[in-house]
Amino acid sequence: MSHKHSDKDEPARIDRREMVKMTAGALIAGPQLNRKKNEPVPHKFFTNEEFVLLDELSEIIIPTDDQSKGARAAKCASYIDKTLAESPHPEDKQKWREGLSLIESISKEMFGRQFMKATAQERISLLERISAQEANPVKPEEKFFSMLKSSIAHAYYTSRIGLLDELEYKGNTYLREFAGEEISK
Amino acid sequence: MLVTPDIPDISKVDLKKTYDAVVVGSGAAGGMAAFVLCSHGMKVLMLEAGRRIDTTKELKSTEWPYEHPRRGDMPPDRHALTLNEYTVRKPPYAAGIKASHVHNYVQTWSGSDYSKNLFVDEKEHPYTGTNYAWVRSRVLGGKTNVWGRLALRLSDYDFKAASRDGYGENWPIEYSDIEPYYDKVDLLLGISGVKENLEYLPDSLFQRPVRFNEAEVHLRGSLQKMGRLITPYRAGVTTDGVKHNTKYRMRCFSRGACNRRAGGCDIHAAFDSPTGLIYPAFDTGNLTIRTNATVREVLLDQNTGKARGIAFIDTVTGRDYEVKAKVVVLAASTLESARIMLLSKSSTHPNGIGNSSGHVGHNFCEHVMGPGVNGIYKKKVGTARTLDDGRPGGFYLPRFRNLKDRHPKFIRGYGFEGGSGMTMFPDDATSMTGFGKAYKKKVREHAGAFISMGAFGEVLSRYENHVELDPQMKDRWGVPVLRFNYKFSDNEKKMCEDMAETAQEMFEAAGIEIVSVNRQILTEGWSIHEMGTARMGNDPKKSVLNQFQQSHDVGNLFVVDGSSHVSSANQNPTWTIMALCWRSCDYLADRFRKGEL
Repeated sequence: MSHKHSDKDEPARIDRREMVKMTAGALIAGPQLNRKKNEPVPHKFFTNEEFVLLDELSEIIIPTDDQSKGARAAKCASYIDKTLAESPHPEDKQKWREGLSLIESISKEMFGRQFMKATAQERISLLERISAQEANPVKPEEKFFSMLKSSIAHAYYTSRIGLLDELEYKGNTYLREFAGEEISK
Repeated sequence: MLVTPDIPDISKVDLKKTYDAVVVGSGAAGGMAAFVLCSHGMKVLMLEAGRRIDTTKELKSTEWPYEHPRRGDMPPDRHALTLNEYTVRKPPYAAGIKASHVHNYVQTWSGSDYSKNLFVDEKEHPYTGTNYAWVRSRVLGGKTNVWGRLALRLSDYDFKAASRDGYGENWPIEYSDIEPYYDKVDLLLGISGVKENLEYLPDSLFQRPVRFNEAEVHLRGSLQKMGRLITPYRAGVTTDGVKHNTKYRMRCFSRGACNRRAGGCDIHAAFDSPTGLIYPAFDTGNLTIRTNATVREVLLDQNTGKARGIAFIDTVTGRDYEVKAKVVVLAASTLESARIMLLSKSSTHPNGIGNSSGHVGHNFCEHVMGPGVNGIYKKKVGTARTLDDGRPGGFYLPRFRNLKDRHPKFIRGYGFEGGSGMTMFPDDATSMTGFGKAYKKKVREHAGAFISMGAFGEVLSRYENHVELDPQMKDRWGVPVLRFNYKFSDNEKKMCEDMAETAQEMFEAAGIEIVSVNRQILTEGWSIHEMGTARMGNDPKKSVLNQFQQSHDVGNLFVVDGSSHVSSANQNPTWTIMALCWRSCDYLADRFRKGEL
């Protein structure tokens, strides 16, 4: 699972007590000591149905795998919901509403039922259809996929799960020395 | 433990007395002027248009994105101008935008919530004319609070460039004049790097260098075969600490926050003017700081022909003030210093103070940016995660054009800034196509394998590139704004074509898989390296200042920022601004002591 790495590559980190002694003051409120559990935010912008749909889409785009949990566990849908609830731009809100409803109408067209009632394989085939032109989206549903994916990716890879479990990001810590190699002259 | 000095409230600032010197601006130049003049025992008043913001608290460099309610983004009612807006629209860019605040493009970067109070609101600070991305920071310390940290020296290839290729003017100094002052700046503030013994990019007195990662070591090796090189980022960062300033600054602890924010260092290992220069100047007891002072004019004594002080507006209340000083030092930034000079009209200086040459606002130059290359170092794909971004920068690839040979299509040169390795946000997450497990795996395996670089090239100093006062538009304080008349020339365009070609060629030679080659030239101003609007020179007909940044026309007026630079060279200017300023202020203090100003 996550956080696997060999010790020999590990740069010399400074332990927390030493760091506090050195830096004191404002820096005590650093990341190690100030890590709060972010409670899930109940959705404020999307309807229940929309939220469930977005949550499912997020997990299809970035699913749980052997490495780490996916977008659902990282609460990506909640983050997007919160961002939209606070957004002063009605056109952004409109795009999301229309995009999700487009997914529903494509689902009805393809499978004769709502997206959440479609099979797992059907759901994937719908996403395959709307992502086929990803490099150059033209149709409204293709443009929606671009927005959906980049929003999910942003929310996921800035989450704790995305950064630490999935990517095993090792920075944002105090080091004695720069990590890396000496250059040969 | 870091402290900040107890700087008295602005209501305590004595505006009745005559100061030895008034310094306008508090960035790299203003901070250095205050530091040097106060060290010489002069009583200095510093005027800063913005407020004082304690970046130790403001920047929160080690906050994780998920600890911030908007993952580091600004409040949604604020807007940051995009490249598209700078290109398609015309200044004033904020016109017609409904957002509560409109900011420059730097605020489109991640972590913009941390820098939102450091940059001006474009709504209050309009400008007109040709397209230009003008990034301004009105706050104590100015842009040094968030600068890019690349600290390079110029050489005689730059100071005597006109003699080499016949274009433009030589600087009135040569490298040996400024070398001791570069040394002083290195020792005072700390700089990280590796000695390379390059004639055209002199070494500094370096502290512990940043290290390369595997891809960068590989690229260095490959470039050596082409007679080119990449050297570890020469960062204006103290990596070993500065013994004389442990009160306000700490050494770099490789926290890696440098590149995931608009910039800024809350432990002040990276140089910023407040902790590196202004607070130490304040500790001499000779410095008075008046923030919220929007300067609008240098006042002239018609009897003596000398500057007698400054007229300013309180930024918050709008009230007018005047303050008297024996010497006036402008350090408001290249464009703002020119603006103040143009605003300071009198019967003896109808075109603005110190402007008998007509060159104030002209010869405006900077660095052209945009072309570059992104690639994948394939050996790194799918390997164990390493810690790569705990450093103030990646690599610098110094100029190689027009040193010995002459390029047939353009004169002068360019260098590249670049880097490789794992960053906090995987850039490929939005560019990789697909979805599902395969997509997730691709992002994971490629994160950290990317390598990229982008060029900074010399924009020729040309008289016709200039700013002037707009005859109609005024800013929020009723001060006429600048109108830009500035365009890249054919030389820059040809140079940019070459940048993209050489970038691609160097990556290909190193076996790096090319992902994209950028050929687009970014909007004028993008480098935030504006220079030249009050250039130095020996001939008062063709220049505004002498070699000590002293006005040819008004003996007690000095302009010590980037406006004095005769050409932009291709090196980032901050270190040169400070070295020149130190030299000029030594001269100023000496003349002052002798009663010659």
